[in-house]
Amino acid sequence: MARITMLLRSPVAQFLATGLLTLAVLLVGTAVLNTRTAHEKSLLDARAYTKLLAGSVAEPAIPTKLVEGNQGARDRFDEVTRKFLKVGGVRRIKLWDATGKIIYSDEEKLIGRTFELGDDELEILHSPNGGTDAEPTDLDSPENEYEPDVEMVEVYAQVHAPDSLGNAGAGPPLLFEAYFSVDSIEKQQTEMIAPFRSITLGALGILVAVATALLWVLTRRVTRAADERERLLRSAASASDAERRRIARDLHDGVVQDLAGSTFTLSALAREASGPERAVLLETCDSLRASLRGLRSLLVEIHPPDLSADSLPAALQDLIAPAEATGVRATVDVSGGRGATGETVALVWRVAQEAVRNTLRHARAAALSVVVRDQGDRVVLEVTDDGVGFDPAAVRTDVHYGLRGLDSLVRDSGGTLLVRSAPGTGTTIRLETGA
Amino acid sequence: MNTRNPLAAALVLAVAIPALAAGPAQASSDEVRRTGSCTGSANVKIKAKHDDGRIDIEAEVDSNRNGQVWRWSLRHNGDLSYRGKARTVAPSGSFTIERRTLNAAGVDSFKFRAKHRPSGQVCVVRVKL
Repeated sequence: MARITMLLRSPVAQFLATGLLTLAVLLVGTAVLNTRTAHEKSLLDARAYTKLLAGSVAEPAIPTKLVEGNQGARDRFDEVTRKFLKVGGVRRIKLWDATGKIIYSDEEKLIGRTFELGDDELEILHSPNGGTDAEPTDLDSPENEYEPDVEMVEVYAQVHAPDSLGNAGAGPPLLFEAYFSVDSIEKQQTEMIAPFRSITLGALGILVAVATALLWVLTRRVTRAADERERLLRSAASASDAERRRIARDLHDGVVQDLAGSTFTLSALAREASGPERAVLLETCDSLRASLRGLRSLLVEIHPPDLSADSLPAALQDLIAPAEATGVRATVDVSGGRGATGETVALVWRVAQEAVRNTLRHARAAALSVVVRDQGDRVVLEVTDDGVGFDPAAVRTDVHYGLRGLDSLVRDSGGTLLVRSAPGTGTTIRLETGA
Repeated sequence: MNTRNPLAAALVLAVAIPALAAGPAQASSDEVRRTGSCTGSANVKIKAKHDDGRIDIEAEVDSNRNGQVWRWSLRHNGDLSYRGKARTVAPSGSFTIERRTLNAAGVDSFKFRAKHRPSGQVCVVRVKL
């Protein structure tokens, strides 16, 4: 699960996913546009094809007596239809006269029947320039009662019957109608689109592949740079930690011991003294003890103690020690985290340290509570004050930089860090992390 | 004939009904064959059958002489559908015309006529389907 999460956070994976999604959207978009264009082109082709059939094949082949209903003329035109007209996706041929009578159809049951012609058909029939029209076939129309239940497109074009002398195209106008199956048109569309689809898919695929490779290289460089920076930071932190540890040790072994000894000596003197001297000595002892507490808190801040689940309550007590000096009523309540790992305890302590420090510096609070408890298999830390509060959305980065810095640490450990605050309502910092 | 005997009656029916139904010579359930007449020694015959919504017509003239040129015509319901010229060929000295026509409403009648002008022979055959 963690590996999958890490993979999903990878910029390369995110780019690849975004790229593929974009590619899919582009493909769908171009497919829709291509299909629409190809459909229009196919219809135009069907109209052009019908016009060509009508003018070049049908009209010269119309027998003189076809209009009169001569059976022999029908047979001869039927032969032309079978051989030369019902090709290239043409499913049906009809030849209408101006009254709406079908004078020929390859469906012989329609021959001689009369149907009402639509305005578009009449316009083509009577147009001096001919023209064509294409429309979807209405299978419910009586003239289509013998058509199979498949989608078709019917295309009309004007032709002329021969005159009485047999001169082709010199007689009255007729309406030539050809039916195309939508399947054949869609097949034509597919053939038309396929090359463009390959080009689009190939180009975009190559683009995504090249960009992914470049991003992978860049990511590796950035990751290496980040690793190097982290190594340097760790080295710096380690050096700083060693320096702080040395300072803390020197203070503890030197100044603190000296002060403790001096306090002990003065206490002994105070016990033997009397009068005003005794009072001065006792006051000096109190002052020295306060200084000792302050120093210990400072030592804790300079270098955290060796933390464990058992020592966490005492470490937190040391953290809030300076609160008393600033007039803040501080409490620590540790009921959880007994079985927590060293890393979890350190995280709890560091967040508590930052939160307590912020409260004492900025909150002007009267009360501060630090609570550590268990919630299922999680450890929860809540540092709450009743101070002035603030708007987390408008927080100055320099003021709360410490908590912001800890946030990434908390997230890396699989925990969450919440800041609940508003002007005048105090502040609660809540950490929840695995034990 | 004594038709009171059931066995004899069944025998009569079994023989008579197919004979009555056969009529013209038929090669299949739909195909109709007819033989026509010629003014000379030639022979003419015609076959007609329904096929895929159309009618297939096949007419043959056999004059027993190779190389004769005959003029022919095919009429469908009285109207001239096709006409042309054909040459008799070996080995039998015959020619065959094959055409496909519409299947008109009702009965379709066909008349095939062939004429050999040099000899004056005329052959005619009719078929209905």
